[in-house]
Amino acid sequence: MESITPQHYLILAFLLFSVGFFGVVLRRNLLLVLMSLELMLNGINVALVSFSRASGNLDGSLFVFFIMTVAATEVAVGLALLVALYKKRKSVFSEDISLLKN
Amino acid sequence: MDMNFNQILLLGSIIVPALTSLVLFTKLVNKQSTVTSLACIGFIFPFVAGIILFANFDRSVSGYCFEIFYPKMGLHELKISFHLGLNGVSSPLFAMAGIVGLSAGWVAIHSGAKNLKLFLALLLFMQSGLMGLFASVDLFFYYLFHEFALIPTFIMIGLWGGRDRRSVALEITIYLTFGALVSLGGLVALNVLVESEKFDFPSLSLALSEAMLTESSQFKIFGLLLLGFGILVALFPFHTWAAKGYEVAPTSVSMLHAGVLKKFGLYGLIQIAVPLLPSGALEWSPYLLWLALGNVLFVGLVTLAQTNLKSMIGYGSVMHMGYCFLGVGVCSALGAGSAVMLMVAHGLSVSLMFLLSRFIYKRTGTFEMSQMGGLAEKTPILACCFVAASLATIGLPGFGNFWGELGVFLSLGENAENHIFLILAAVGIIISAIFGLRAVSKIFFGQVSDELKENTGNKKILDLGINELLPAGLILVTLLFLGLWPRGISERIDKEIYSRYSLSSSGQAGLLLPCCPMDKNQSDLSTDYEELKIKSETKK
Amino acid sequence: MDSFLNFSNENLWIEIWPELCLALAALLILGLDLFRKPDSSRLLSGRIAILFQLGLVIFHLFDYLVWHHTFDRVAFSGMLSLGIQGDVMRSFFLLSSLLVSILGHQYLKSGSLRCGEFHHLTMLATAGLMLLVQSSHFLMLFVALETVAICFYTLVAYNRTSEKSLEAGIKYLIFGALSSSLLLFGIVLIYGVGANPEAWGAVFAGYESQDPLGFKYISNLLESNPNNLLLKAGVVLIIAGIAFKIGAAPFQIWVPDVYHGSPMPVTAFLAVSSKAAGFFVLLNLVNGPFLGMAEFLMPLLGFVATFTIFFGNLAACAQQNLKRMLGLSGVAHAGYLLVAVMASMQFAGNSDRAVWVLFFYLFTYLLASFAVFGVMGLARLKDEMDHEFSVYEDLVAKHPWMAFVLVSGIASLAGIPPFAGFIGKLLLFSVAFEAKLHFSLIAMVVGVAISIYYYFGWIREIIFKPRPSFSDETEENEKDLWVKIPSFSMFKLCMITLAICSLILGIWQGPFGDAF
Repeated sequence: MESITPQHYLILAFLLFSVGFFGVVLRRNLLLVLMSLELMLNGINVALVSFSRASGNLDGSLFVFFIMTVAATEVAVGLALLVALYKKRKSVFSEDISLLKN
Repeated sequence: MDMNFNQILLLGSIIVPALTSLVLFTKLVNKQSTVTSLACIGFIFPFVAGIILFANFDRSVSGYCFEIFYPKMGLHELKISFHLGLNGVSSPLFAMAGIVGLSAGWVAIHSGAKNLKLFLALLLFMQSGLMGLFASVDLFFYYLFHEFALIPTFIMIGLWGGRDRRSVALEITIYLTFGALVSLGGLVALNVLVESEKFDFPSLSLALSEAMLTESSQFKIFGLLLLGFGILVALFPFHTWAAKGYEVAPTSVSMLHAGVLKKFGLYGLIQIAVPLLPSGALEWSPYLLWLALGNVLFVGLVTLAQTNLKSMIGYGSVMHMGYCFLGVGVCSALGAGSAVMLMVAHGLSVSLMFLLSRFIYKRTGTFEMSQMGGLAEKTPILACCFVAASLATIGLPGFGNFWGELGVFLSLGENAENHIFLILAAVGIIISAIFGLRAVSKIFFGQVSDELKENTGNKKILDLGINELLPAGLILVTLLFLGLWPRGISERIDKEIYSRYSLSSSGQAGLLLPCCPMDKNQSDLSTDYEELKIKSETKK
Repeated sequence: MDSFLNFSNENLWIEIWPELCLALAALLILGLDLFRKPDSSRLLSGRIAILFQLGLVIFHLFDYLVWHHTFDRVAFSGMLSLGIQGDVMRSFFLLSSLLVSILGHQYLKSGSLRCGEFHHLTMLATAGLMLLVQSSHFLMLFVALETVAICFYTLVAYNRTSEKSLEAGIKYLIFGALSSSLLLFGIVLIYGVGANPEAWGAVFAGYESQDPLGFKYISNLLESNPNNLLLKAGVVLIIAGIAFKIGAAPFQIWVPDVYHGSPMPVTAFLAVSSKAAGFFVLLNLVNGPFLGMAEFLMPLLGFVATFTIFFGNLAACAQQNLKRMLGLSGVAHAGYLLVAVMASMQFAGNSDRAVWVLFFYLFTYLLASFAVFGVMGLARLKDEMDHEFSVYEDLVAKHPWMAFVLVSGIASLAGIPPFAGFIGKLLLFSVAFEAKLHFSLIAMVVGVAISIYYYFGWIREIIFKPRPSFSDETEENEKDLWVKIPSFSMFKLCMITLAICSLILGIWQGPFGDAF
């Protein structure tokens, strides 16, 4: 059986990233959009950890902590905004939240 | 820095209108009499300065007089410096700007427009830009002073203009900005490609005399400058903004714009583009000549079809610019010199026509020529002035335009290739005679039309009052002065152009022609023509 | 204590004293707003914030101009690189933050929103921006970028009572987070190749530095491997992430909506600071690490710049809402600045003339934008987000000084002499011509001509008399829509100073001339 190489991890990360990307672009429910954003960041984390392990360089692993912190902050702000918006519009679907059209 | 009297006049003729304009913008002065006197100072100072500097000009040398140089003004990166001065070509134009400005300002002050303070402030700002335009040696400031007029024109047309003013103001601004940007592109190209110390003509020509630019880049830069300046001066396919704009604009604005501001592009072509980029000029010359002919004939025919006096004058001014372009397109010293003479005279005559059209409007209430008639009986002085102005525009000897047009025709005639342009341009004279004299006959002679009787009713139509006679008379006297003593300006124009055009004489044919026939003997002309033929053969 | 001192000296903590001061003051202001007595003015935190930032601007300018002249050095073991360009940008952001605080103070006066958080977030964002422009390590870049971004997400949605503001906030968050992820993925790809070059078909390039995320290492890596696919993908992703921040096409979709929905001072902040930071980061990147890929990046940037200029100008012509129009015109300005960035790539290593042109243009853009947004913020509309042309009808008769400031701001944005914006565009033309970017130059000329249509259309509304309307169409509320400003207030003084600076700078550029 062939062993799992860093290339495999990169493909996994890329798949996670693209699933997240298409989730952000195509989803109508804003909560799921936020989740997809998190998914993208997690894909990036996987790639970073695998690169760091494969090369023995620790910078990548350190970077992961920073990314996780930032992701948490983003989610906090995003959810707060979403709650405020829900209180106003009673819906989290993007087609109900489109006052800013030309 | 210590400046002598002339330099103070030169600097003051830009600063005084600008300062009075700024004061009028604020709420500091409100009384009508203060406003009027401030505006008078603002307009009289450049006029007086222009005349004095014209008289004090040193005619024995070519080059700049009364120079003021302040290197720290602009960005060092772009080699900009604040450099003012007058040379043989710019001093008559400078004086003309002062004269037209005074007349326009006089008319504005006594016009009784609403919010007169703002109008005069904007007009004064435009005037300071015009004086600076002809006084600056540095090319960047030359461009900057021209653009001073853009926003005031926009505001003045929009607030005090005639019918359709909102859209015409926007249109004219977009068109003129596009032209200005294209010419800016050409100037920037010149600045970047030529390694000179300062961005003004003497340094540029010094740098170029050692190493000319390549033919292809000369072609492209001259093309850019021609396109940009052409749009600004209403060259043939780009002339549509001019007539509409002048028809809608208030009279003082039309006077300043058509009379003075339009000369910016031609001044740039004659002083800067042709001498610095001779091979480019020669390559573009056939196209320019055909387009100029389009101006003369095509726009001339359009002018014939006009029944509105103001639009007729507007189109007529575009048509006469065609002659100046013909003079420039020939690329000879004679052509360029006569173009300058024609510019000075045309500026005066077209502003006089706009001025008189306004006087006619005040008396008849309309600009439609079919609704007037028989005014000569009631207003003989106005009729006399109008006839004089029309004849000046047509090019009758006795007024300055004649000498300019004669010079242009002579320069066209010198080269056998240009004879076709000569013949067709002469046809243009006939066209301008037709519409000029037809206007005279319709307005002043013949039967009084019914509409005129209706409009004026019982009111007596008064002849020109003193407030109207003074500006008109001022311009008329200058035109006569130019017509009866052309050497007053031709000598200095001549010296300047000759020295400038022979600077670029690295084997380029056509640019070595000597000066106007008024200064050289007839015999010299023929030998120089031989020289020209030989050189043009070797070029081919 | 000694080890702490050693640690701080080694890392040159003293060099980031403005950022530390800003962060501390931000926390203090938040605390002040939280613990103040209920009867003290709601706006106290605003006044303190403005005073503090004014002092900081002056102090900082003195510091690097007069007391300690800057010289190039690296701090925090490669994280920050300090130099004269970084210091200029830091002053720029401090000035911009001061102006945002002034505008925000005016905005918060009417209404019931809390003041402390606004100034807190503004100052934190500014601290982040200042660190961002000095960064020379991708980790630093990412953290600073995210700090700024998150502060902005909250600021855009600051007006909790307005649905449009919240909607703009969530839109900005989603797009911003998306682009941050793209940028991050690009960084990760480059890191992957850099940490283990042989595994990914690249040549080892770690002779100068050992830090695979530092700019130095990456510039060597990219120089040695200009054709590696992963590296190219990484570079493109990073540029895409930054293009979002500056609003370049095709990532400018968020601009009209977010500019429309956010409160006025935040729109100004976005338009000026966020764009300036994005451009400076892009400049640092393409002139530093990515220089090895210049042949690949130049056509890409050229295409993006041209597309941005045309899209921004043409879309702005069609807008009725003024905030959207300003946003799209900002997109067009981003296009012009991209041309300057391309020119700097041509000159990299030889001279940094294009960088100074960029600074000058950004500075004139700051003066003009804050003047325009400041006056716009004074309109008291029912729905404050909807600025149509009719609001500005005949402003010159109602409030002449407002009209003067607004017209000078708009004319400077349009690039009309004698305003400073013209000099900025002239310098751009010059530098683009020197760098032989002829096609972009033509695009710029056409773009500026098109932009006259909407800028002067606005000036037309302000100055010309309104079209006569039918008598049954006139509104019942004829009352003045504009907030009354007392004659000598700080806000009015500030606005008039901005307008006059624009005018003077257009004719005399004395102090800037030496910087070139």
